[in-house]
Amino acid sequence: MSSLPPGFRIERDTNTEEFFINMGPQHPSTHGALRLALRMDGETIVELVPHFGYIHRGMEKQAESMSYLQYIALSDRQDYLTAIQNNLGVVIALEKGMGIGVPEKAEYIRVMLSELGRIASHMVFFACFGGDLGGQTCLLYGFKEREMVHDILEEVTGSRLTTNFFRPGGSRYDVPDTFIPRVKAFLDHMEDTMKDYERFLSKNIVVLERSRGIGVLSKEDAIAYGCSGPVLRASGVNFDVRRNNPYSIYDQFDFEVPVTYNGDCYDRYTVRIAEIHESMKILRQCVEEFPKDGPWRAKEKPVRLPVGRYYSEIETAKGLYATYVVAATTGDKPYRIHTRGPSFPHIAALNKMVQGYKISDLVTILATLDPVIPEIDR
Amino acid sequence: MGIVNFAPKILDPIPGGKYVVNAIDYVVNWARANSIWPLTYGTSCCAIEMMSSSMARYDIARFGSEVFRASPRQADLFILAGTITRRMAPAIQMLWEQIPGPKYAIAMGACTISGGPFIYDNYAVVRGAQNIIPIDVFVPGCPPRPEALFHGLLTLRDKILHETCRDPWHEGEPKDVSTMDRYREAANTWAALERMKDEEMAEARAKFKEENPDYKSSFKPVRVKKEEFPEIPRAAKAPVGMKQVEIFKKLQSKFDTVTYHTHSEDPLEEVVANLPADMPLEVMVGREQYLPVVEFLKNDPDFKMDYLIDVTAIDYDDHFDLVTQLRSIELGHKIFLCVQIKKDFSIDESERPTSLLGKIESISHLYPAAEFKEREVYDMFGIDFIGHPDLRRIFLDKDFVGFPLRKDFTHPEMIRRPV
Amino acid sequence: MFVPSVTNPIGDFVRELVPQVAAFLPASLQSDTLNSVVAFLINALICVVAVCLVNIGSAPILIYMERKVCAHVQCRLGPMRLGWHGTIQTVADVLKMLFKEVYAPSGADKLMFYLAPLIVLIGPFIVCALIPFGRNLVVADVSMGIPLIIAVNGFGVLGILLGGWSSNNKYSLLGALRSGAQMISYEISFAMILLFVVMISGSTNLMSITMGQEGTIFDWWVFKIPVLGLIAFVLFFISSTAEMNRAPFDIAEAEQELTGGYHTEYNGTPFAMFYLAEYIALVTNSALATTCFLGGFLPPCIGVAFIDNYLNMVPGVIWFFAKVYFMIWCYMMVRWTFVRPRVDQLMDFEWKFLLPVNLLLLVAGAAYIALVG
Repeated sequence: MSSLPPGFRIERDTNTEEFFINMGPQHPSTHGALRLALRMDGETIVELVPHFGYIHRGMEKQAESMSYLQYIALSDRQDYLTAIQNNLGVVIALEKGMGIGVPEKAEYIRVMLSELGRIASHMVFFACFGGDLGGQTCLLYGFKEREMVHDILEEVTGSRLTTNFFRPGGSRYDVPDTFIPRVKAFLDHMEDTMKDYERFLSKNIVVLERSRGIGVLSKEDAIAYGCSGPVLRASGVNFDVRRNNPYSIYDQFDFEVPVTYNGDCYDRYTVRIAEIHESMKILRQCVEEFPKDGPWRAKEKPVRLPVGRYYSEIETAKGLYATYVVAATTGDKPYRIHTRGPSFPHIAALNKMVQGYKISDLVTILATLDPVIPEIDR
Repeated sequence: MGIVNFAPKILDPIPGGKYVVNAIDYVVNWARANSIWPLTYGTSCCAIEMMSSSMARYDIARFGSEVFRASPRQADLFILAGTITRRMAPAIQMLWEQIPGPKYAIAMGACTISGGPFIYDNYAVVRGAQNIIPIDVFVPGCPPRPEALFHGLLTLRDKILHETCRDPWHEGEPKDVSTMDRYREAANTWAALERMKDEEMAEARAKFKEENPDYKSSFKPVRVKKEEFPEIPRAAKAPVGMKQVEIFKKLQSKFDTVTYHTHSEDPLEEVVANLPADMPLEVMVGREQYLPVVEFLKNDPDFKMDYLIDVTAIDYDDHFDLVTQLRSIELGHKIFLCVQIKKDFSIDESERPTSLLGKIESISHLYPAAEFKEREVYDMFGIDFIGHPDLRRIFLDKDFVGFPLRKDFTHPEMIRRPV
Repeated sequence: MFVPSVTNPIGDFVRELVPQVAAFLPASLQSDTLNSVVAFLINALICVVAVCLVNIGSAPILIYMERKVCAHVQCRLGPMRLGWHGTIQTVADVLKMLFKEVYAPSGADKLMFYLAPLIVLIGPFIVCALIPFGRNLVVADVSMGIPLIIAVNGFGVLGILLGGWSSNNKYSLLGALRSGAQMISYEISFAMILLFVVMISGSTNLMSITMGQEGTIFDWWVFKIPVLGLIAFVLFFISSTAEMNRAPFDIAEAEQELTGGYHTEYNGTPFAMFYLAEYIALVTNSALATTCFLGGFLPPCIGVAFIDNYLNMVPGVIWFFAKVYFMIWCYMMVRWTFVRPRVDQLMDFEWKFLLPVNLLLLVAGAAYIALVG
């Protein structure tokens, strides 16, 4: 089999005729500009090779000629489903370099907006999971609740999607007075609607048939491939940066890290649904303990980092988001900024997960990995 | 297409025929303008707003455009949602050619209009969709709100309603504006305007000064006094797993080339104490001992570094720093291994930017995750990984010249930031 | 002598009218054979026009209905701009598709590529001709109605297979093969259930099947035989959904997997034909369900003479279409509520569940007839 296209490796003797299918970069279920080359035996996938780079925008090169503050705006465009959490990841790395603390109210704002972003991202997952299984209605239901989060984000940050909100030492603005009541109203609404949505998918016999035992990722594989977030937790690894290596004030809240042990598509779905509930739990605590007054940002300082290397890791909706900043000279420009996005290892593990499954299962598996392609390509 | 375009030739010479042609125009345009089926295509942030626009709150279906077709053969409208990279551009051109005419394109968002946030110092982004396909409507915003997209859609509708079969729809030509630096252009125009204004006003100013020699402006800039808040000190979080000093001591006793990374001459304890919270010590490893150290860290029961966070590199004048970030899921400690790879200066200077300058053993057989990460480092820095099963470019085309994240990288279409 | 078999008031009227008109012609042209042939041709023309009107006329209504039902299920409004609540949105869509560029992809088998959408349209049209729309409104009142329907329904899969194969696209081919396997499998249970209807009604003629349900609502086949009728109706609903390639059994054109399935490469008018065929099949299948289970054009009498008199005053055609549209609404609600099973699960469902249940149903039906009468 020396005539295989680049990337394909599996040697196998078959009497059947294999063929290759190209999925993407414009395909309704590859979640953006991802291209998957499939080696098929009938409807069964023999091997899969992902091709990246269709949305490689050279962010890391560009960041070298930008100031740190400008890079915060660029980080919005990586995982655009939870842009607010990317901001947080970058800002924490910068704060470590600048050596400044964050006042309590600012931390509360950070945690609340992050959790809202997580809910928004998981609602998109819910929508795309249902949509990719063929339930178009699900697609719209997920986005319906997401709009409420967007309303809150828009009121606070001035933007629906690309928020560019956090700054070293706090955030750009204080939150408006309506913030807390709005979050409260959203939570009350969400409690009710989540029940409906779970009834819609969680116990649906077709969904169970199509997602149980599909795309199984064992615990060892999940760790070896560097998976993180809900994908890792669905494989039975209790690892959450919020709990294992708490940043911001996540150590002060009472929440659980949902873990399931089968590592299949349905588990990844249930973990995310449970995470929405946990996020709402954190938000409830935040709403109760939100400091009415007090500073909302630390004393403003020019963003200049001393020579050194700085690292921060946070748990975004997709998983472990790490920022690695190298400052070679003391100044406002980085020598190099590197981002470790959570989706990249997930797609790397995709080949392992889809072998032997049908092409319809590939769509399900890809939906439950919930990748964001610009975050992979950067 | 087709048959209605012959209508003017036949009907216009006949008296009264032009009214029939007008009627045909009206009906055809009405149908085309009100039934615009977009193609399911999106690359980045704008795609999400495009999706939002078809969802319950905004509902693009009101305009009859909810029929998103996955196949370009059945679509009428190409909404270019999201940044267009050089690698994606041929695919977009192919999609555009596959859409049967009459077809229209909306450039959604700043990236597709000019490159948006990626216009300067960027080697990968096409600066404006009009370079590759003809665009009918531009919708500004980063990303534009769904309402803005609707405005674009209605603008396109107006445009279609003014078509006529006397001058039937034809495919336009893309405009090459790839290297156009709009910022500088605008700045120059603005400066010229200012100069013109200055010249015009010079006489009047002189006259005014002559008339009121003692005039002094009473304008004072209003400064909002900034409140100063006290910084709230927070307790440092206790690290989990092994202590950094412990890790280092243990490694050093086993491998002789292991040192620690610092920017000063401080002793180890001080360096560790000065590290920002949550940041592990960077352990420098000799190039030859890199693979044994990683193997040891993975298999040793005290370390159990089973999780690879990342592999990345930093380019310096004469060497690369390869940073391998490892963590132990079970024990919770992290370690950053830093390997200095000396650049191979035996290569001729003119060929250096396009050739692989460093070499190191691959760790992809220990960590499957490293396979793609190492491909990324190879792609961006040109470091050769010995024993890597599938070393190809990952983000860039296979015929891309140069390695972008090296400091000496240049690209013919990279516009420098004017500052 | 050749005697055309169209028997309905219009047919009789034409047959009487033609000799009267012919009387004005020269004597050399007057013959009974010629008269009957002319009458037959006129009748045939009327029938073709009527079938086309019912089919093609209902397609835009259905597309509009589908878009509205889908929108309201999804908490949206749907088309709102063209006409009152977007009523003429589909007209614009159809017109636009007629004026689109049409081309076949390179490497496609041109003849088959353009022939396939026409073949897909054949089946639903013939079935429509067999359906009794009213007491005297039937185009072809054939005695072997049900076997003919079963035979003709196979045309659809032929067109889809040809279309998918001739497009020279792997996605199309996959979609076509899926659809071929699916439709052939579900055809079996589809036929079985029609067989059940034939068994309990004792006739293969659709008119007599309908007339066998005369009486109250409880004389309809769906209620007449306790439980069994209802089971048969549900099974018919499932297998006809699969037969039509409609969601949730639309694995042949699964947009998320195969972009467009067998019609990925189709554009303009040929695509419009596929689109049309899908909706015409919806009408004919609903009409079939109505005829076989829901009493066709008979009013839903409840046994109370006072109300039944009023119900009987409404023409049968209206009852028929009311039932047909109710069935269509059910199909649409199912489409927008359920998620799609995988291709092998779909086949498992047919061969391991639906078919055994069908066989059991047949046995149970036979036993019922033997025991109860």
